Amino acid sequence: MSLPRLARYYLMKDVGAPALMGLSKVKKKKRRREPSPYFGPPLRSNGRLREIMTRHYFLSRYAEGAKPVAWVTSGAPVEILRPFDFYTVYPENHGALCGAQKVAPELCAVAEERGYHQDLCSYARIDLGVCFSGQTPVGRLPKPDLLFASNNICQTVVYWYKALSHIWNIPLILFDTPYNFEEIKAIDISYMVRQFEEMIPELERISGKRFVEERFQEIIRLAKDSSFLWGEVLATMKAHPAPMTIFDAFAHMAPIVSLRGLPVALDYYRVLLDELKERADRGIGAIKEERKRLMWDNIAVWYKMRDFSNLFAEHGMNFVTATYTDAWAQTTPYMDEEHPFESMAKTYSLVILNNNLNHRLKLMECLIKAYQVDGLVIHSARSCKPYSVGQYDLKRILMDRLGVPSVIIEADITDSRAYSEEQARTRLDAFFEALAG
Amino acid sequence: MSRFPPRPRKVYLQEQKALHGRHLFGVFPAQYPKEILWAMNALPVEIWDPPIEVSHANAHLQPYICSVVRLGLELVLQGHGDILDGFLFPHTCDSIQNLASIVYDYLGLEKRCYFFYHPKAPYRESSRIYYVQELKNLAERLGEQLGPLDLSELKRCVNQGQQIASIVRELYTMRSESKLQASNAEFYSVIRQGEYLHPEDFIPLLEAFLAASRGRAEEGPAVILSGVLPNPTEILSLLDQLGVRVAEDDLLACSRRLLVSYGNASDPYESLAEAYFAMPPCTTKDSPLEERVGYVLEKANRSGAKGVIFTMVKFCEPELFDVPQLVDALKARGLATLVMDTELNQGMSGQMRTRVEAFVEMMT
Repeated sequence: MSLPRLARYYLMKDVGAPALMGLSKVKKKKRRREPSPYFGPPLRSNGRLREIMTRHYFLSRYAEGAKPVAWVTSGAPVEILRPFDFYTVYPENHGALCGAQKVAPELCAVAEERGYHQDLCSYARIDLGVCFSGQTPVGRLPKPDLLFASNNICQTVVYWYKALSHIWNIPLILFDTPYNFEEIKAIDISYMVRQFEEMIPELERISGKRFVEERFQEIIRLAKDSSFLWGEVLATMKAHPAPMTIFDAFAHMAPIVSLRGLPVALDYYRVLLDELKERADRGIGAIKEERKRLMWDNIAVWYKMRDFSNLFAEHGMNFVTATYTDAWAQTTPYMDEEHPFESMAKTYSLVILNNNLNHRLKLMECLIKAYQVDGLVIHSARSCKPYSVGQYDLKRILMDRLGVPSVIIEADITDSRAYSEEQARTRLDAFFEALAG
Repeated sequence: MSRFPPRPRKVYLQEQKALHGRHLFGVFPAQYPKEILWAMNALPVEIWDPPIEVSHANAHLQPYICSVVRLGLELVLQGHGDILDGFLFPHTCDSIQNLASIVYDYLGLEKRCYFFYHPKAPYRESSRIYYVQELKNLAERLGEQLGPLDLSELKRCVNQGQQIASIVRELYTMRSESKLQASNAEFYSVIRQGEYLHPEDFIPLLEAFLAASRGRAEEGPAVILSGVLPNPTEILSLLDQLGVRVAEDDLLACSRRLLVSYGNASDPYESLAEAYFAMPPCTTKDSPLEERVGYVLEKANRSGAKGVIFTMVKFCEPELFDVPQLVDALKARGLATLVMDTELNQGMSGQMRTRVEAFVEMMT
């Protein structure tokens, strides 16, 4: 790492970033919207979230050469990187941002021109598009010194990171989490613990820092507290009316995904939770007339967030829970700083997508009951096979067991070319009618 | 016409049950320790591309799921697996992983289902320890249905596996050196019979094929096939007609699983582990791309192939992710490449035929 770059990084952290935040507040004030007839007052924390994430991406530009930089998959045990002071960037979070800003098709097209098939995951295509073109709505992403992936969310991230590793000739560390076809086995846990032990010398070499277990334990504590608060944040949506919608949660999950194990995430969720509790106590709903409560399954359709948010609100329907947002809270109880490696193994291998479909069915049944859900919207996402394969059966079984009506939307997480407005609207209109009846 | 046509699979399987009392297991792609099944008097019957029409599976799977998974599920749903005593699902990709769960958790079949997780990125000691533990775990669980595994029997079956690998290697070497007189279609027809033949039948078949095929191959340009399996199978006959020799392959169903070395360990589990880790670079075990690129380039060098045909199964993510880097590296070495993206059992369209013909013309 170079000293001038380190000095520049800290200058930007202490002076540049605060100045940028100040400027963005001024700009924001100029863009006040008319109050919506369907929505309650917006969350005060939205501004703080924007500041945190803007600062994160802004500083990432200056991290290259100043700190070791790692690109990390959303399900990887990032806690193991924090003691080495890696600046972590989450390409999936960046992909979601590109999707929400509707620039995904053009970035995907860059990767497609290089031979990456349109059938491949669009997060990966966006990221490869960024890799080849350098284009990104956040200005610039730092080139990583390390790629850190876990296949607990899908195998796709490994194929994708393998490509990046080959193109840039940089190391890839994989945290391999055996799929839980039934219950997790003792040999699975010992395998994952050994992998942690094996990766530490490599992380020391790449970062130039020694591993200190006490620091690792502190970070696990921080991550556990943040994940716990994130769970509490989501649980506020049990209130009638729910104080936020799942579309808010899709945005407010960014810190638990990207900044897990850092104090900023913990501080943020304290503020957000206080605000949501206050709203719940005062009966302030995210939408003005919450007539029906819904559950979302799968990753968001990022380019349709605003449209779907408006459409469902107009029908008096609020999404109060999602299997997706819940994923970053569900395994919190396994986190235990006294048994750091074993607990990390369980925390990360028992997540929803690394578990069998029966487990997912039970989880969905629990969420439906706990959040008093009236209907289910299932996003069948072309990009995400582990999330999508099995959804047709889940839909049928949930209807049989709980009588919960549902609709499947065929779409993609970021690539709007895979979405048919007409087909989705036809299905949604039928769903609205079924729920109204 | 093949000199060694496959016997009807159903008749063969019925015989295996009736004459040898063998349990039959439907095995989904791709990597699994077949020697353990043989040692327990069970026959693995692999399910890659069953020749059936898809109808029922569409109620369970989205249109963007590959036809290997779709056909496999269709086979189960149509009851073609009724003769089987259970299913084994190796952890090959996300789609097969979830297919396993659909079959096990949702279909309510009265058949045992087993899952086999092989470690990914197998370049660490932990992967080797885990693989051996997984082998023993599978044997133990199969033992609940089939009775305990006899280690000496496993040793014997590992030897059979070694024998198969040795003959297959010789066949591949002869083919690569233009010393095998067999058409492309016949070569793969014989090799792929190993997907369901018991070693007691497969070894004699391979030996007979080898003995009958020694000799100078016909002159003609050479190509390499890459992908999951030779699909559509008609491409093999077309290449035969065009005088093109498939000199090597990088197919998951073929050389990637078959060209293995078992080492000399006295413990049969260690031998099986050796065979897994000595497998050629493969997407199913997350081999680094540079290894796979180097491996395919070396095949091209050794065989004198002038081009590589990628016979992709549509929506197969593991393979599709590697293709751009492989194509770049091959082109940089002056090799021609053709990428075909097809569904299984769809035959050879006129357009596809034209593309292959144009590719061969360009290559020559």
